Order: sequence, then structure tokens, then C-alpha cells
Amino acid sequence: MSPSLRIPPVLLVAAVLHTAVMPQFRVLDTAPDVLLLLAIAAGLVGGADRGATMGFMAGLLADCFLQTPFCLSALAYCLVGWSVGIFQARILHATWWIPMLTTGVAAAAGILLYAGLGAVVGQTQLISTRLVTVVAMVAVLDAVLSPLAIRAMRWTFDVEQRGAILLTR
Amino acid sequence: MALSRRNGRSRATLVFLVLTSMTVITLDFRGQDSGIIGDVRRVATDALAPVRDGADKVLSPVGNAFSGITDYGDLKDENARLRARIADLEGQRLRSADAEAERKALIELNGLDYLGNLPTVAARVVSAPVSNFEQTIELDRGTNHGVRTGMPVVTGAGLVGHVVEVSGRRSLVRLVSDPSSSVGVRLLPSGESGIADGEGPRRQLGVGFIATNAKVARGDLAFTSGLEGGSDLYPAGIPVGRVTSASSPPGELEQHVELRPAADLAHLRFVKVVKTKIRNGA
Repeated sequence: MSPSLRIPPVLLVAAVLHTAVMPQFRVLDTAPDVLLLLAIAAGLVGGADRGATMGFMAGLLADCFLQTPFCLSALAYCLVGWSVGIFQARILHATWWIPMLTTGVAAAAGILLYAGLGAVVGQTQLISTRLVTVVAMVAVLDAVLSPLAIRAMRWTFDVEQRGAILLTR
Repeated sequence: MALSRRNGRSRATLVFLVLTSMTVITLDFRGQDSGIIGDVRRVATDALAPVRDGADKVLSPVGNAFSGITDYGDLKDENARLRARIADLEGQRLRSADAEAERKALIELNGLDYLGNLPTVAARVVSAPVSNFEQTIELDRGTNHGVRTGMPVVTGAGLVGHVVEVSGRRSLVRLVSDPSSSVGVRLLPSGESGIADGEGPRRQLGVGFIATNAKVARGDLAFTSGLEGGSDLYPAGIPVGRVTSASSPPGELEQHVELRPAADLAHLRFVKVVKTKIRNGA
């Protein structure tokens, strides 16, 4: 099966996890952001181009269930996916904890970017003391889930673990 | 060479996606949830509804157990608070007849309507907040059941929020605790009017515009005033909450008043949608 055929079911599963499963498992009223995690994992596995594209699509799905302006998440997630993809070669084959740490930092940056862009377009309620909790918890939870997301992205893009860089170049 | 070509392509992709996003954000602002973007949201909500229903039914017991573990300290405190409250209520029960008569008299005196005459639609809460920022819940009733955008949502205890988006089988309710929610309230017995703003999950509502010389005390009741609160206008007379603290810091022009919402917003299972449309007062 080609990667383009695998992307829609992966996005659908991620949307169900994001909207129905993960909200049940909240820590400090915060759930992991599965769709942002997908964008980060796509950047880690597939590089900047695929990270940006997957981030955009995942963000669009997230926007379907939010009251903030449509495409705000898509904008933030595609920027995060692209940024992670820029450093892909150095991250993916480093020690096991480097991709996890990168996911945590990227998730924190993604939430801050979403809130910051939201504030720019008038969603000032996103900037509050709660933002600190959300950034910290999403970073930790997404980092913990990152090995699963990276594995899912490897399957999606049909990338072998050791040949990832060569195949995506 | 190949690397620079790949980088150039990824930059072009990024620029295209960023420009697309900015265009859609602008269109969404101009459309205000109508047109194709509103339709996309409604279709996505309805399309995923059966899957989300199934996941909710299967996972809610697991989720409850998980929150029992992660919130164990809070639950223990809440248990102690509830035991103390039961003891208080036992004492107050004997005085309740007088207090109820007084409350009714005050509501009548202040010209507040009763909600009892308005038609309602009972609904089940099928989804907790999806976002980490928005305080919203999803109900299993939509336009097919007469629910429309703007309708207030209540429980037997008081105001929950109002419907902000509705599809055929689903409606999304913004809770009064959402940071973008504002409700015009009247405090009784003082009769002071103010605006109760949401401040996030498990936090009390902050009430603004209460003069420093107003006689507001812990335990006062807050009802919707029917006056403008932010951009929303609820019918008058819906219980909103009870004052938990009121103070006038030196040099301030208004009091710091906090309300505990009357409805238990963290454990909503069934609610009623009131079939009266709130007007947009913005």
C-alpha cells in the first residue's frame, strides 16, 4: 500500500484518539494533543516537507472540533512539523531519548505557537495562567506517547527504521 | 545538490501551506461560522459522532478510574468538604422554609423571571472538552431535536452555558467556566449587577463591575440578570452560583467577587437545553 493511501486512515484514527479517547485520560485537566504529536512524528520520520503537510492536515482535523478560527491549528502544526523535519537527520538516529525530548520540546513550542497566533488573531483568552500547565502537561504526555507515534509514522511513510534518511532524501 | 533541492521544495510547501492557512483564517473571520467552513465543522462532528459515542461508552469507565487515580488527593479533599457540607445542610434544613420564601420574595422584588415556563430539551453529555483551552461539552441533541445556536443550557442546580455550535445530531456547549464566557448576573439580596467571567476548569467565576460600597457577602446568590454580559444575553432568573468571597482591596474601584458555579461543571451527565434564544448583545 502506498503512503498516500495510508495517510487518511492514520489521520482518522488520530482524530478519534484525539477527540474521544484521550480526553478521558486527563492529567491536571490536560489531555495529550495527539494531532500535534502526529505532526511532530511526521517531521521526525519524513522530514520537513512531510512534517509540514501532515501537520497541516492534522491541524485541519483539530480545527473541526474547536471554536478558534478555522486553520489556526493547521498553521501552528504545519510550522512545528516543518521545524522538526529540518532537524530530522540529527534527531531520529540519535540516542533513544533524543526523539522523546525533541517531541516534548516541539509539543511545548506547538502549544505556545498556537496560543500566540491565536492571540494575534484576537483569541486573547488563550493567553492565561493555565497556558503554563497546558504547555508542560502536553509536552510530557506527547513525549511519553512519541515512540508509538513515530512507529505509526514509519508505517505510514513506509520508512524502514535504519534507512529513514536515505529514503526521504 | 539533492539536499538543497529538497530544502527548497520543503520551503515552497511551507510557504504554500502558511498562505493557505492565513487565507482560510481570514475567510473564517469574515464568514462568522456560516458558509462552507461552518458546514465542514458540522459534517466532521456528525461523521465522527457514532465512533466517538462508541469510544465514550467503552472508555468512560476506564477514564473514570484513571481520573480517580490522578485526582485522588482532590477527591479526598472533596469527600471531606462534602461531609462537612452535609452536616451544614442538616442544620440548615430546618431553616430552609423561611430561606426559600425569602429567596422567592427577593427574586420577585427584583423582577426576575422563572425558567419553569420555558420549554426544554433533555440531553446527555457525550463528550468532555476536546481542547485543553476551551471549556466545552458536546450534547447528543442537535437541530433535529430543536436545538439552536445560542440557547442556554442548565441543570436542576443552575446555569451550565450556552450552545455555540449545532449540527443535526450534536450540539457544542460553551461552559460558563470557559475563559471567553461572560454572563450578566445580579447578586441577591444586594441587587447589585455585574458580569461573571469564566476563568478555566475547576476555577471559580470572577465577578466584575461590583462597586466597593455594595453590600456583597459570602453566601449571596447570583442569578442571570438578563442584562448584557460580554456578548451574551441570557434570560433573567437562572441561578448562576453562590458568592464564595468578596473583598475590596484599597485603591480599587470595584470589589473582587468570586462565585462557585451552581451546576457541577466537572461531572455533567444530563442537562436541559432551554428553548429560548439568547440575543447577541455585542
